Amino acid sequence: MDKHLTIPDKQPGFSLPTFVVIMIIIAGLAVFPFVITNRFYISLINEMLIYGLLAMSLDVLLGFTGLLSFMHNAYLGISAYAVGLFLIHVSPASLWLACLTGVFFTALVALPVGWVQVRTGGLAFALLTLAFGMMFHTIVWKWYGLTGGDDGLMGMPNPAISIFGWEIGHSGDPTAMYLLTLVVVTICYILTRRIIRSPFGAVLEAIRENEERAAFVGINVRMYKLLGWMLACTLAGVAGALFILYKGYIGPTTMSAFAGAGVLMMVLLGGMGTLWGPLVGAAIFIYIQDYISTMSEHWEIYLGIVVVFLVLFMPTGFVGLGGYLKRLKRG
Amino acid sequence: MEAFLCTEDLCCQFGGVTATDCVCINFEESGLRSIIGPNGAGKTTFINIVTGRIPASSGRVIFQGKDITSKPTHELVKMGICRTFQITSVFRNLSVFENVRIAGQARRGGSLKVFSLKKNLREVTKQTWAILERLGLQDLAGEPAKNLAYGDQRVLEVAIAMAGGPSILFLDEPTAGMSPAETRRISELIQGLSEEISIVLIEHDMDLVMSISDAITVLHYGSIIAEGQPEEIRNNELVREAYLGKEG
Repeated sequence: MDKHLTIPDKQPGFSLPTFVVIMIIIAGLAVFPFVITNRFYISLINEMLIYGLLAMSLDVLLGFTGLLSFMHNAYLGISAYAVGLFLIHVSPASLWLACLTGVFFTALVALPVGWVQVRTGGLAFALLTLAFGMMFHTIVWKWYGLTGGDDGLMGMPNPAISIFGWEIGHSGDPTAMYLLTLVVVTICYILTRRIIRSPFGAVLEAIRENEERAAFVGINVRMYKLLGWMLACTLAGVAGALFILYKGYIGPTTMSAFAGAGVLMMVLLGGMGTLWGPLVGAAIFIYIQDYISTMSEHWEIYLGIVVVFLVLFMPTGFVGLGGYLKRLKRG
Repeated sequence: MEAFLCTEDLCCQFGGVTATDCVCINFEESGLRSIIGPNGAGKTTFINIVTGRIPASSGRVIFQGKDITSKPTHELVKMGICRTFQITSVFRNLSVFENVRIAGQARRGGSLKVFSLKKNLREVTKQTWAILERLGLQDLAGEPAKNLAYGDQRVLEVAIAMAGGPSILFLDEPTAGMSPAETRRISELIQGLSEEISIVLIEHDMDLVMSISDAITVLHYGSIIAEGQPEEIRNNELVREAYLGKEG
């Protein structure tokens, strides 16, 4: 083959072993609710998948574009509220339309916010995400008439989940919701991976590596930062739609800065810049959170200690574990 | 005759300091013009203004008859005004190939192809290999830029700029810190390029400047003190004074 048409890159597709492993994981997750019918575990894994999607979307910003968002959960929240409000007030049975509305509304909110934020970089960008996020948090928290304030959004209907007329259940059914989440998260992962390895993804990586130089090779840095931001927020919006359908409820704490830090930890725990790392990170985080909270109501303290140790001893996150073990073995 | 690129009374002040003081230079469509001067003469500031890195305090930059003063950097690059940096500025965690390709891609388009594959940008791929081979970096193509030896990083710096398809290329001390062999490699490359495009070279290595320049502009305290062919500059009294100080 002509050398001049080959490229010395990571291949955009999956290698065979990776593909097999991914298929086994997906198949395992797909049969899981039929083997272990305990609703508690089904819901737990469902939550892991939804937060995995959110953490993965944050990784698009943090690991690939080099932008830090402290409150990415705000965009999950915005979408969740929008989907919930649509189902309650507009059309209680239109599940897909509600989801589309939620994601679209999230993008609509993220656009002007992003437009302001991309004028900065580094710490200033991160602080702006915090400022906007706290504003959104306060709005949903204090606007009792619309959002139910502290009590959260109540009275969500349970619309039927039907795919081209084939009804697989309704959103109150954990197994049906779980399967829907699994399919959507899988599709989002594959699409995002493809985007990240496209020429567009290369531009994001160049910006992460060296913003000034990126401008000096002719990249409109602000525009591409905004596109990266919109991609991340839209994915967070998808996670938000899944979130409210699965929980049937959303409260303002989901959009708090505290919860935002949690999402950031998921990315760091899993290993940023890998897409799949944050999915694993979210699973670990939610498992630890769930496990410790059964023993102590002050679970945040213990979780904090665990995270401190993980960050100190596994600085590259879970994905770095393989290399770490190899080095350990060699001595 | 209208110049290819020229600056008109370009000034730049930082606080009370005038770094560039009413500089007017005409650049030709091809050939090699060096800008020299003692440390702090305002050479880098001058290219920073022309390439859009910092804004001018006053004056204009005209490129092919169009006023391009204070245009955003990425637009200037698309017009063919490219540069390298005195302090190596590459994409450290990307491979050498990716470093050069991203510049070609940004120039030729394709950056908005979100679902396409990088290898489908065939023209960009071809151009990238051609540049890497021309600069002798082809064997390092898959290596992350940060692993390269210093000299190779400097060469990569030039490769990235070339991939932008410049019609005028500003080189800010490309040979700084290079070994004599590496300097020779770069100077041959620069000479070759200067037959195709306009090269503006900032350089401290006088032997290099005198041997390869078609024209030289000398800056001192932000203003031009001499301009001409290497021979004229070598014998210019003002230039000697600027470099060596006035004789008692």
